Amino acid sequence: MISNAISLMIAIPLLGAAVSFFAGSKAKFVALIASLIPLALSLQMYMEFDKTSKMMQFVESYNWVPSIGVKYTVGVDGIGFPLVLLSTIVSILVIIYSWGETKKPNQYFALLLLNEVGVLGVFTSLDFFLFYIYWEIVLIPMFFLIGSWGGPRRDYAAIKFFIYTHVASLVMLLAIFALYFTYQMPDGSRTFDMLTLLKATADKNIFPTSLLNIIFAGLLLGFLVKMPAFPFHTWLPDAHVEAPTAGSVVLAALLLKMGGYGLFRIILPILPHVDKAFVTIIAIIAVLSIIYGAFLALAQKDIKKLVAYSSVSHMGFVTLGAVAFTTMSIQGAMFQQFSHGIITCVLFMSAGTIQHVVGTRVIADLGGLADRMPKFAVIMMAGFMASLGLPGMSGFVAEFMVLTGSFATLPTYTMIVVFLSIVTTAAYHLWAMQKAMFGPILKKYMNVHDPHAYELFSMSMIIVLTLIFGLQPGLITGMMGTAATQVMQPVMTLSQMGVI
Amino acid sequence: MYADYAYLIVGLPVLAFLLCLFVGSRLPRGGGFLTVLATFAGLVLSLGIFSEMYPDKIIHQSMPWFANFNVGILIDPLALVMLLMVTFVVTLIHTYANGYMNGDPGSSRYFAEAALFTAAMLGLIYADNLLQLFIFWELVGLCSYLLIGFWYRKPSAAAAAKKAFLTTRVGDVLFMAGIILLYNNLASLNIALKPGEYLLQFPVIYAHLTQIPPAQLTLIALGLLGGAVGKSGQFPLHVWLPDAMEGPTTVSAMIHAATMVTAGVYLVARMFPLFYAAPYGLTAVAAVGAFTALFAATMGLTAFDIKRVLAFSTVSQLGFMMAGLGTGAAVGTMAVGVAMFHLIGHSFFKALLFLCSGSVIHAVNTNDMREMGGVGKYMKWTMYTMLIGSLSLAGFPLFTGFFSKDEIIVIAYEYGVAINFLPYIFLVLAAVLTAIYTFRMWFTVFTGKERSDYAKHESPSIMIIPLVILAIFAFGFGIAAQGGFYSYLDSNFGHYDVNFNELAVIGGHAAEETKLAGEPAAEPLASEAGEGAKAESKAEPAEPWYIQILPIIVALGGILTASLFYWDKVKKFDPSLVTGDKDPLRKLLLKGYYQHEIMTAWFAETIVYGSALICNVIDIKLVDGWLNWLSALVMGFAQHVRKVQSGVVQNYITALVLGVVVLVVVITMAKEVGLI
Repeated sequence: MISNAISLMIAIPLLGAAVSFFAGSKAKFVALIASLIPLALSLQMYMEFDKTSKMMQFVESYNWVPSIGVKYTVGVDGIGFPLVLLSTIVSILVIIYSWGETKKPNQYFALLLLNEVGVLGVFTSLDFFLFYIYWEIVLIPMFFLIGSWGGPRRDYAAIKFFIYTHVASLVMLLAIFALYFTYQMPDGSRTFDMLTLLKATADKNIFPTSLLNIIFAGLLLGFLVKMPAFPFHTWLPDAHVEAPTAGSVVLAALLLKMGGYGLFRIILPILPHVDKAFVTIIAIIAVLSIIYGAFLALAQKDIKKLVAYSSVSHMGFVTLGAVAFTTMSIQGAMFQQFSHGIITCVLFMSAGTIQHVVGTRVIADLGGLADRMPKFAVIMMAGFMASLGLPGMSGFVAEFMVLTGSFATLPTYTMIVVFLSIVTTAAYHLWAMQKAMFGPILKKYMNVHDPHAYELFSMSMIIVLTLIFGLQPGLITGMMGTAATQVMQPVMTLSQMGVI
Repeated sequence: MYADYAYLIVGLPVLAFLLCLFVGSRLPRGGGFLTVLATFAGLVLSLGIFSEMYPDKIIHQSMPWFANFNVGILIDPLALVMLLMVTFVVTLIHTYANGYMNGDPGSSRYFAEAALFTAAMLGLIYADNLLQLFIFWELVGLCSYLLIGFWYRKPSAAAAAKKAFLTTRVGDVLFMAGIILLYNNLASLNIALKPGEYLLQFPVIYAHLTQIPPAQLTLIALGLLGGAVGKSGQFPLHVWLPDAMEGPTTVSAMIHAATMVTAGVYLVARMFPLFYAAPYGLTAVAAVGAFTALFAATMGLTAFDIKRVLAFSTVSQLGFMMAGLGTGAAVGTMAVGVAMFHLIGHSFFKALLFLCSGSVIHAVNTNDMREMGGVGKYMKWTMYTMLIGSLSLAGFPLFTGFFSKDEIIVIAYEYGVAINFLPYIFLVLAAVLTAIYTFRMWFTVFTGKERSDYAKHESPSIMIIPLVILAIFAFGFGIAAQGGFYSYLDSNFGHYDVNFNELAVIGGHAAEETKLAGEPAAEPLASEAGEGAKAESKAEPAEPWYIQILPIIVALGGILTASLFYWDKVKKFDPSLVTGDKDPLRKLLLKGYYQHEIMTAWFAETIVYGSALICNVIDIKLVDGWLNWLSALVMGFAQHVRKVQSGVVQNYITALVLGVVVLVVVITMAKEVGLI
């Protein structure tokens, strides 16, 4: 067993970011190694991970600022670990996909690594203070990726992305402070310890419902904006359209997952103690995100914007499964996070490759590309099929679990989703696919060809993963089963677990 | 022993798929022989399993998958006859495809997709639970999408593929809703599952039907029926099937005639106990089936594309099978045997007809019957095998189609006596039209003058041999297998813990069941075999002689009518008497009831796409608009506020003092009120 695996996993990309910043054109090799080690570590952790344990695992805890109760506490359970795995997988594939980047590659790869640091930190922090720091760190590389490597409206998109999500984060921070200042440890001191504070929210004497409602709403806003859920999603399409491909991939595959992670780690333990109206509100938001997102995707003319709205729709399943609050729906929602994380990579990479090879992403201007890009066509088709929920691939399992599980507690909402979203989702995927890839090849595209091997490699790896987790979802859901039951019961704190 | 290798029935085609996909282009004929071998091995295995199982064993293997679900293999008589039929017919079609696709640059892709299809179809058949069935069901749909769009450079093929996927997806939504509903109903029963049992397994579902509220059963049944309607091309989701003919003819024969489209019928047969227990469940099945049978037959009369004629015919015949299952409301489980018999028989003669049409198209190089004519002179084998297929489809006495369709009409009559005569009337009319459109096609293609300049030669023997084998079955299967088939399938549900008498009470057809079966409702039915056989033996003498011979008259009359219109030797009337673009009614038929205009142009493009565009406007103007409005407000405010920063120290001090005063006042007041 590796000691300090989590800290190591976060420290190495951080170091890698610093080195690659000064490595000039060699930055990509640094980045590859610096992302390979966390991947290896996370795979090792996967082997050692105890799927049946209700405890936090790989916990590290050190005093940091004892005077205000801040600790450096990290650890993972079935909620966090799948996302750690996702982060390390996606990070290295994105770095491989970007192998040909020539514009300021040192900064580019440094930012990608820094991003990995941020998301890994978010998924492993068990201290609110630390959590918030990582949460904000993530904004920085993305802001620069959009702002420096983005498309024509990159300034607008970068600032909109930053301000929108930052404002929501500040609201979340206020809610965290409210938790911090309300709860006192038995010895009178204050703590930022996440599990202790969450556990305390169950106590009506400390957190009266009226106060908890406000705190809950603040936290919720932070996460819903990040996911993003209707009606807070409009920063996403702009950010995606302007971001470089790698930025889009990381944004959709990892950054959005922070919002979902917040739901499971922080929102669900509090949910039973707040006003029941919240359930209805969140369910409505989820359903609208799913359906409205799908319809918006159908209306898009830019293939990347289409994919961006499909993220809104797919992340709605996470919200729905979470709020439905049954073991299966929560498990499904967690799996949807993981599954959407990998599938969306191949979608954004496809959009990026089309832009790169053909020079446009406007669907109406494309046509017959399969003729000249046969390998790419197969991979893109597989990715689109995965995204529309084809059985045998991971997306189906996740959505099926969410829907089947949610029906028990939210039957009407679930059925609305089933009836209005599934066909629409298939429609926009197939329509885009047909228009872009099939039909006679347009004259102006007679000279296009399959993309570079490294691009095809990243994309096909994702397809393979989608198939593996679609055929054997137990590899991931096995970890989530225990976590899902845990979420529904009062949280166990680290001291109760006996880990610190 | 064979049962231990049952998984290979799916496994080998998957292997063939992978081989064709990755190395097929380096193999002769795109690796087509691999696909043939894999399917043939499946046939051998199925026969071996049959020899072990017959007459009274079933095979059930299962292992856990994820969450509360499992994967497993269930081979009972119902599944076994399907396995045999599919492996047999598909082996022949793959063989034929080795000739038909020879020289196509995409042949390795074709055989890869065809192998994947075979695997998915076979997996669907012997799935032991509803989720697994659904998964293979969707994979079958994927393969159908890929194969319809095989010639993807052709815009019409790409569009047809998309249409097929989306239309069947509408059905799948209902199917999925049905599964979700069923799962939640079963989960709420808190069943104490034995090790190896899972909620969605068929035996578990059958055993707990009586505990599910009847209204829920009806909803579940309607959901599953929705799925079946989509996949089996029943009204109103049949619109994709004629368009699906854009694919290679072998695809049409394999997927859109013999195998995949029968999956819907198979689903209803598989879930027959549920449909039986659900009030109005079988009524809905009968209504959909009978209406589709007639409706599609009328469209078959006017199509000029030979494959579209056959496609409409398939839709119509699938309607017969559905209607046959629906009559189970009156005749009980024997309906399953009757419908399945037609399903199997139909797959032989319809595959044959498609392959024959492919042989003709191969030579003439067009699908349009108006450019054919007189082909019989050059393609004797094709002509005569197609004649056998046509006679079988038209229900000519002693041919397979005669026995199978006749039996459906007979039980529809019983359904009429017991419940309602409408399905019977619809089916008889449809049978007349079937004979007419079938021979319209045959006469137009093979007799008369040559209406265009085409290659005058017979197809290669790799294509002819499958035709001959299929023709033998299209003729002889009916006579050879009818009796044994019914009793074998009647035993199917006897293997499970399911009490049809209790289900009949829930489903609201207790009276009919008792009357026909001649047994009191309370008596436990350990073996449905006996019950089904009795129902048959008691019911049949009840029919007047004219009902018995009506199907013969119908078939002969139909063929005669067709010859008067379309056989140049005896032609008496002009087809424009019935169809044409002169007046609205005849045009209605020619335009296929304007379905394309309604479904695609109006519903999909106007309503759905229109609402998507509206959403987009709302998103830009409203949901994102308020943000921009807010930022404009902040900017405007900032423009004013920055004037305060004047640089005059006195102003700052004034503001500071004011601020302190305000703070003091606020805090004092707050203390008064008790906020702090």
